[in-house]
Amino acid sequence: MSDVIFEPLKFRNLTVKNRLFRSNVSGRFDNYDGSGTQARINWEESFARGGVGAIISSYVPVHLRGRIIPNYAMVDSDDKIPFWRAVGEAVHRHDCKYIMQLSHSGRQRDVPGVENFREKGLSSTSQKDSFHGLLCEAMSIQQIKETVRYFADGARRARQAGLDGVELHASHGYLITQFLSSGINDRKDEYGGALRNRAAFLLEIIQAIRKEVGTDYHLQAKLNAVDFGDALYPWEKKGNTLEEGIQVAQWAEEAGVDAIHVSIGSIFPHPLLPPGGLPVDEFNWWYGTMISSGVRGYMNYTVFHFKLLRPMINLLWNRTKKSHPVEAVSSEYCREVKKNVGVPIINTGGYQDGKVIRRVISEGYTDAVSIARPLIANRDLPHVLQSGKDLPEKPCTFCNRCLVNAPANPLGCYDVRRFNGDHDAMIAEIMKVYAPSQFSEQHLSAAVASEE
Amino acid sequence: MQEENLKVAGGTLTDYIYSSPVDHYQHHFRRIVLVIVLVALALVLIAGLYYFMSDRTPYYANISEHFKYGSIGAETGGSIFTEVGGVLPPYFVFKTLPAICPDKLPGGYASLGLVFEPGHDLPIGVSRRWRLGVEQVGLNCAVCHTGTVRQSADATPQIVLGMPAHQLDLENFFRFVEDASLDDRVTADSVIATAEGMGDHVSIIQKLILHLFLMDRLKLVTVSLQNRIGPLLNGGLPEWGRGRVDTFNPYKAIQFNWNLKLLPHDELIGAADFPSLWNQQPREGMHLHWDGNNTSVDERNLSASLGAGVTPVTADHASLQRIHDWIWTLPPPKYPFAIDHGRSARGKDIFTQACAECHSFGGRKTGTVENIATINTDPYRLNSYTYALTGNQAQLYPDSQYRFTHFTKTDGYANQPLDGVWARAPYLHNGSVPTLLDLLTDPAERPKQFARGYDVYNQQKVGFVYDTPQAKQAGTWYDTTIPGNGNGGHLFGTQLPLDQKLDLIEFMKTL
Repeated sequence: MSDVIFEPLKFRNLTVKNRLFRSNVSGRFDNYDGSGTQARINWEESFARGGVGAIISSYVPVHLRGRIIPNYAMVDSDDKIPFWRAVGEAVHRHDCKYIMQLSHSGRQRDVPGVENFREKGLSSTSQKDSFHGLLCEAMSIQQIKETVRYFADGARRARQAGLDGVELHASHGYLITQFLSSGINDRKDEYGGALRNRAAFLLEIIQAIRKEVGTDYHLQAKLNAVDFGDALYPWEKKGNTLEEGIQVAQWAEEAGVDAIHVSIGSIFPHPLLPPGGLPVDEFNWWYGTMISSGVRGYMNYTVFHFKLLRPMINLLWNRTKKSHPVEAVSSEYCREVKKNVGVPIINTGGYQDGKVIRRVISEGYTDAVSIARPLIANRDLPHVLQSGKDLPEKPCTFCNRCLVNAPANPLGCYDVRRFNGDHDAMIAEIMKVYAPSQFSEQHLSAAVASEE
Repeated sequence: MQEENLKVAGGTLTDYIYSSPVDHYQHHFRRIVLVIVLVALALVLIAGLYYFMSDRTPYYANISEHFKYGSIGAETGGSIFTEVGGVLPPYFVFKTLPAICPDKLPGGYASLGLVFEPGHDLPIGVSRRWRLGVEQVGLNCAVCHTGTVRQSADATPQIVLGMPAHQLDLENFFRFVEDASLDDRVTADSVIATAEGMGDHVSIIQKLILHLFLMDRLKLVTVSLQNRIGPLLNGGLPEWGRGRVDTFNPYKAIQFNWNLKLLPHDELIGAADFPSLWNQQPREGMHLHWDGNNTSVDERNLSASLGAGVTPVTADHASLQRIHDWIWTLPPPKYPFAIDHGRSARGKDIFTQACAECHSFGGRKTGTVENIATINTDPYRLNSYTYALTGNQAQLYPDSQYRFTHFTKTDGYANQPLDGVWARAPYLHNGSVPTLLDLLTDPAERPKQFARGYDVYNQQKVGFVYDTPQAKQAGTWYDTTIPGNGNGGHLFGTQLPLDQKLDLIEFMKTL
């Protein structure tokens, strides 16, 4: 009997061998200037080796000012193409597709970095974000046009690098969400107000990419089905509704995307996504990296730091989670999107258990799932599922410690319980991303050969 | 980077080569927070200054209400800043003392002759004033100058403003307040609980003040007051009894810190009746006080207020001026019962012949001092006012318009105008003769002992009932044989036939 998880998924311009996508995730593995490293290649290849059908890269900034955190490889110039070609080739060796996620942080720059800290982030609005207090200024029309161009250039570079497609990161509160969301976009011009106006930025990017790379190149958009803008602070605006999310997906389809990657959440992280725990102790250790990024950093850190205050953030963070499952957190909304669009749908949020994944695919919630944290914990999860098991021996606990470590430390699984309490073993596992290094025998001999 | 940015100041690079938007925001935010904090501190300071430094008292537009309840500045009581004590403890303490020490005053303040009106938690003559962060109480003119009159035992007492408070037992009032204030049961906790039980709201700040400062201060102040006026109240002297006060001996102790123990025993006997307050305008220039030691109504008023507990520092001159203006022309109360006009008409002639020279406005000797040898009434009150006290009084209010310049030592008692005399019983300066008819009787035949302070009126004898069981129960017992209580002297009219005496006192009801 065939397993729906392992049936190929055909897009207009791309076929993926199974229904498991590595969702967009990475650590601070690359050079500060946005050039890539061997560690990133190792990182991505490890997932391909594990059996996923396609990897969606971590967010890849199309412009320096739109970088979320330093040490992530960018695609802001042509000299980045060779690196991304090397990433693609490494992934392709495992019959895995590689989709670059084109991204612009907008105001949501968790760590602006030395290049950016003197300037506010660009956004649809001049209102700071609600969580960290990240400052921003509303983009001018000229800046909007330039940014549309950056996305199109990024897509071109991805194609030139031999990658299999691109995804627009239009969810989780980054720049395109900042235009789409009624809870954030307060513009009075043609990019604000009615939903169509708020969607204009996204649709212009899609059109520009299509114009740049043609219609025969895979292009997908990661969209919020619902914003839930008031999930953390009840006094914030709700943002876009499910109806609006569906409408945006339909417009994106009309504009030429080949797939919709469905998620939820007006900021990142968001109480509902990634679903799971809120490791306040990890925040206490690592949020320091972000204290000076926004004007609420000190306040947040104070709450994270003092145990007496932690119930405050737990209360706010958890108050809307009760109404949603951890596993397949956004599947119900995804099904509504899927009903209303014709292109294939990928859904993200809390996927690990084979039973759950089979059910959402077979019952029409989605065509594929994208997974990040469970794959960080078990790169071979696809092989495990293919072997007939529904869960790996030590499954991801959705504790979100990886998430909180990400701004400060190499990304990996930081749930020491999965290593039987052996901290050294946990660190050793995390550090595997650096092997082989670019100065290993394998790389050096390849370099000598090319010189000869 | 411009070159000047690289200049080194004192060997150290300056902090601000450039700054981030977050820096700007936080700098701006902190400035706002600083301003808010400073404004909040300023508001707290202003509120604190207002709370602790403001001096405010209820204003009564109606002059009668002002007379009864308005402050004249006698609320000098305890505070967190000063031990200067008033005669009375702060409001919450004063109000709760009888409830906390019911064994010491079973009938409450009313049993001492203080007059309560509906809607008022304090009696007539007790005023409120916010001073030094504490609600204080003090006495005003009305406490000694508001009397009650009844036609019969079952009638409702009629309150007469300006009338001598013949029913008031001031000495025992002072004794109770002092004694109860020092009682171990009177603590911040008991005062707060009792006040709240009475429906009062005691704020947190007031509770703190009571707990931390006020009760300790109060005890100290009371001990200090007791040390000063103890010799007057500790039982070694004749009782004042209802309707009487020793005007000048407490004055010597409280205002001038005299050690009363060093004074001759007889000088400490000085109790005399409360006088009436009405009709002051025609009295200006007369010898005022029983011994006629001052000829200025204003000085007499101010001096009397000092007796009520006002100090030169706290005196509310504006309030006193309102009282002055009111009593300047306040008419004497009309006799509230029936008058036999036939007798009254006959009595008028007798009055004109026998009394008017000394007791009518315009009389040749009215308002002058009659030598003690001539009038021959009890001399103690005269002797309690001394040359030494005159000298001390002259030192009050130096370099101000209020300085006393009219006090003199006299050699007798002043002839008093008799307006409203029906309401001024008992008679003579020391209240030693209960009725007018008794006064027209030979001293040997005048009542030797009687009750005073009972407010049922004897229309036949013109004065208050003094010899019934009810009078004895309600009043204090007055013994004319005790020093200072002598009922001799003033033989005028004693030789008249009874019928003429009755005509005369019938006429005197109309004065």
